[in-house]
Amino acid sequence: MKALTQKLVETFSPSGYEAQIRAVVRAEIEPFADEIQVDALGNLIARKGQLKPGGSRIMLSAHIDEIGVIATHIDENGFVRFTTIGGVRPHTCLGGRVRFINGVQGVIGAERLDDLYKVPTFEQLYIDVGRDSRDGHPVRVGDVAGFDRPFADLGKRMVAKSMDDRIGAVVLIEAMRQIKDTPHELFFVFSVQEEVGVRGATTAAFGVDPDLGLAVDVTGTGDTPKARKMEVSLGNGPAIKVRDGGMLADPRVVDWMVQTAEKQHLPYQLEILEGGSTDARAIQLTRAGVPAGCLSIPCRYIHSPSEMVDTQDVENSIRLMVALLSQPVELK
Amino acid sequence: MTDIPAFLKRMLSAPGLSGHEAPIRALIEETWQPLVHELNVSRMGSLHGLRCGSGPTPRPSILVAAHMDAIGLMVNGNMDGFLRVTSIGGLDPRVLPHQPVTVHGRRDLPGVLVSPPERLLPANVTEGAVPIEYLLVDTGLTPEEVRRLVRVGDLVSYAQPPFETAGDTLVGHSLDNRASVAALTVCLDELQKRPHTWDLWAVASTQEEVSLGGSTTSAFSLRPSLAVAVDVTFASSPGCPSHKTFPLGKGPTITWGPNIHPALFDAFRDLAERHEIPFNVEVTPRHSGTDAYAMQVVAEGIPCIVIGIPLRYMHTPVEMVALKDITRAGRLLAEFIAALDEKFMDTMVWKD
Repeated sequence: MKALTQKLVETFSPSGYEAQIRAVVRAEIEPFADEIQVDALGNLIARKGQLKPGGSRIMLSAHIDEIGVIATHIDENGFVRFTTIGGVRPHTCLGGRVRFINGVQGVIGAERLDDLYKVPTFEQLYIDVGRDSRDGHPVRVGDVAGFDRPFADLGKRMVAKSMDDRIGAVVLIEAMRQIKDTPHELFFVFSVQEEVGVRGATTAAFGVDPDLGLAVDVTGTGDTPKARKMEVSLGNGPAIKVRDGGMLADPRVVDWMVQTAEKQHLPYQLEILEGGSTDARAIQLTRAGVPAGCLSIPCRYIHSPSEMVDTQDVENSIRLMVALLSQPVELK
Repeated sequence: MTDIPAFLKRMLSAPGLSGHEAPIRALIEETWQPLVHELNVSRMGSLHGLRCGSGPTPRPSILVAAHMDAIGLMVNGNMDGFLRVTSIGGLDPRVLPHQPVTVHGRRDLPGVLVSPPERLLPANVTEGAVPIEYLLVDTGLTPEEVRRLVRVGDLVSYAQPPFETAGDTLVGHSLDNRASVAALTVCLDELQKRPHTWDLWAVASTQEEVSLGGSTTSAFSLRPSLAVAVDVTFASSPGCPSHKTFPLGKGPTITWGPNIHPALFDAFRDLAERHEIPFNVEVTPRHSGTDAYAMQVVAEGIPCIVIGIPLRYMHTPVEMVALKDITRAGRLLAEFIAALDEKFMDTMVWKD
């Protein structure tokens, strides 16, 4: 699981430019899927299993895009100005490094700051790729880059950029590998463009037209010094979403997830996230509506280059996902 | 005929926060049962009541949506037996402290929403309304009892009973938008004695206060030719600018703006004038803040309009409506539906 995680987080694929991660995930899932397709937006959709009595069409969605930056201007001295893709915040940028999807690396520098205690704006930041003119510059306007930070295995915990939501993809890939017998027709969606408004899952959900949907994504925690108050902690088990900034999870789906976790003696936490949303919102609102929920992996420092998850939480999320998908679902 | 004030008061006392509308849905279902030909519930929990028209099949249909969900609170933490809460929908934090509430735990628990004394709050929050994250629900139970009976995600609703004033108005929480469900029920009552050509889908929609999710999905599955959202709008009171509010008791509003099909607006306005039903024109230049905003762009697009019922003190536990505005809105809808004929869609054109 850790090796797979490292492989996924060390791939660079900001929203809209998911080709590299899509190829990596595709190679991982090919042995376990009955059918694989890529839709018009670039969602990777793998079907597994055939409907048996008591089964449903279930869509699972983990997004494979990540936040990043995009070059907007290259000045005469070779400095690259940029804007953001998804929810990047300037206080996580300064001194950081980026890697363009063509492999070029750079560091983020700032104009002279009048007040060192004030967070700079993106207009004051630039990327330095080690060139001193526009001539032969390896970056063009429109090139995109992800944040560059090595994967770190801290034993009990793992840290990397793009844990949001490659760790969700890890959970789905492992679940696909482990599910041997299911009454369901399962659609594992590795969705694109979540960070720019759950756009991939919107079309994937319309195309799959499921009876039931679950997103797998990260959620925040309230267990760090002077954190925002939140009942979720790292290491206390997978989080079952009750609500977030974009949706109320279907209460029947919440009950099904809670009961399954209890039956399997797996730890779980109930999650209320004040901001942000996931692919589950898009699934819920597609067509005539779909009962939808989200299995969340608690994660510290979301949208920074060092997102931290707990190894046990990931293992238990995989176990919970396998348990959820192996039995008929009766929503009450 | 439905006893509308009694029905409305029962609705105001029924729980049904966004995403958890089962109790209010059951009550509406029971009331609509004799008034429609068919009832079903969508996967998002919206109630669909069909009144079949008398025209030849396939018949056009009109969808009239009134959302039945209410704003409220949700438990998101437990501090030594005191519950921390977050909002479902847009609550006004100025009015929250010291309100009686019901916590819907393993069983319903009465409680009160409290704010810590001002001098115990952090310095940066002592001015203005106390943010909701500092408010707590006190149920009077021990921490052990609270742990046993309440979990994160449980709902908390306002507990004040509704009452009628001496001025023929009704006061209570959740009049947004149960007042409109009452108006839609008036319309169904009226249509018992009126022939109509078109099919009518009466929809009590869910999750309007959080995502417009109920009407989005119902409009997709029912694919009406026309859609109407009935929702409350701001009634005037001292201190409210008159160009943004509408007088209480002087009729519903008919809404105009990019969310509204202009030909549908013309048809409603002409009909109201013909039947001498008082109304005001409400202008909404952007998001109408109603189910119509979602329904307009469902599938290939649906011509929409919003009928508003003026309401004072929106999103507080003492919302106020005039009963006769509810009756008039219901009558306006019924007259419009009864007047729809096989040629009506030919008038839904753009005057380019």
